[in-house]
Amino acid sequence: MGAFMLITLGTMATKYGKASRVIRPLIQEQILRAGIKVLPIICFLGAAMGVVIVGQTVLLLMQVGQVQLMGPLLVTVVIRELAPLTAALVVLARVGTAVVTELGTSRAMGEVEALEALGVDPIHYLVIPRVVGFTVSIICLTVYLILFALLTGYLMGFLRGMNLSLGEFGGMIASAMSWVDFPLLGLKTLAFGLIASLIMCYHGLAEPMLLEQVGRATTRTVAHTVVACLLCDALFLPVYLLL
Amino acid sequence: MRGVSVVHPELPEKAVLTGVDWEVMAGDSWVITGLERSGKTLLLETAAGLHPFPVGEVRLFGKPVTGMEGDELAWVRRRMGLVFDGRGRLFTSQTVFENVALPLCYHGNRTLEEVTPEVWGWLERMQLESVADQMSGRIGRALARRVALARALVQKPEVLLIDNPMAGLDMEHARWWRGFLGKLLKGDPAMEDRPVTLVLATDSPRTLMGLGKRFAVTQAGHWHLVGDWSAFERSEDPAFQGLLHDEE
Repeated sequence: MGAFMLITLGTMATKYGKASRVIRPLIQEQILRAGIKVLPIICFLGAAMGVVIVGQTVLLLMQVGQVQLMGPLLVTVVIRELAPLTAALVVLARVGTAVVTELGTSRAMGEVEALEALGVDPIHYLVIPRVVGFTVSIICLTVYLILFALLTGYLMGFLRGMNLSLGEFGGMIASAMSWVDFPLLGLKTLAFGLIASLIMCYHGLAEPMLLEQVGRATTRTVAHTVVACLLCDALFLPVYLLL
Repeated sequence: MRGVSVVHPELPEKAVLTGVDWEVMAGDSWVITGLERSGKTLLLETAAGLHPFPVGEVRLFGKPVTGMEGDELAWVRRRMGLVFDGRGRLFTSQTVFENVALPLCYHGNRTLEEVTPEVWGWLERMQLESVADQMSGRIGRALARRVALARALVQKPEVLLIDNPMAGLDMEHARWWRGFLGKLLKGDPAMEDRPVTLVLATDSPRTLMGLGKRFAVTQAGHWHLVGDWSAFERSEDPAFQGLLHDEE
């Protein structure tokens, strides 16, 4: 897996800009697939997260008279933790198994060797568009998820009698965040995107596969991605504790 | 190839063919024959630089393939066209047109629109215009093999390796293939009138009679250079005779 990751990152660097008129449309196709088409479910999840988590938290804090804790609590729970992980897992659920199946089938059918025979680098043609497309998608979907969760949460609180304007609510969230939160959120979603997409492509491509093994590879992918994302998430914990 | 052992990439410890000494010169036409699973396909794929080999030396266009990587290996592969067995390992998620266009688009950094005249020319030559927009996985086996041939030729390779070109073809398709390969050997205008070096693998050498100038046999893990067609016919080895008379 480590070697596959290094080869992919190496190919990304050495082949940057090569065959751009072929690779760019492939990246757009993956963004459409893992980003734009996933947006409705992300909006729904964001809204659900807003009602269930943000709305309830706001109401609870109002009841105990600790409204000043709302900003730090929402930043920690929603922005730093839940949104990036949820976006990565939704992309995994929505396209992960399909990617492993299509790449695994290509490998099993010998299409990868056919690419090599044509002088086309399979990592450049098959893996990089997916890695870039999925990573960009996860980063963008995280932002949408956060916005939807906070807006719906505010709406929920407002309807239940929260005495704050949208500007005050936003101000509380903003003041609970430091400037480091922005690069860290970007870094975390980037890491989740890379981890999820590389594991999907690795399980589809890296090992020679028979058609009947494709199903098992998809199950492994889901398990490995969830564990890897959670471990990566844990690595960010000490950084947040220092903030 | 000098003293090469051909292995399956997933079972590198077990040689399928040993002691392969083979030199292909420009303008040659070779027929590699042998029973099914005697290593012909792996030999072709190894010769195309697709598989590693534990023993011996493979030189492509005079340069050792070991140690070649990246753009150098890609460039050498582009000078060799490989048509795989069966349905030619077409990219099933793409149309026939996209399959043929891919190498041109990728290596020339061009869009599908830009390569359309060139691709269309190849499709016409292969009589594939009517299936150009169909998904490659949905067309018949005989046409799929022609698409694979077009995809290999679109880069105008100097050497063309074809695995089992006649297997399972009806009379009409077989006649077309024989005619087309004959034109490639003589020098087709589409290939800038340059004769293409041909290496054809087959289970039934008679189907390629007239196309191959030299014959070699893969048998029981060994490689045998036979010579021309008459030398093949004169051979007293019962295994060779069996290959010659298997259709009778």
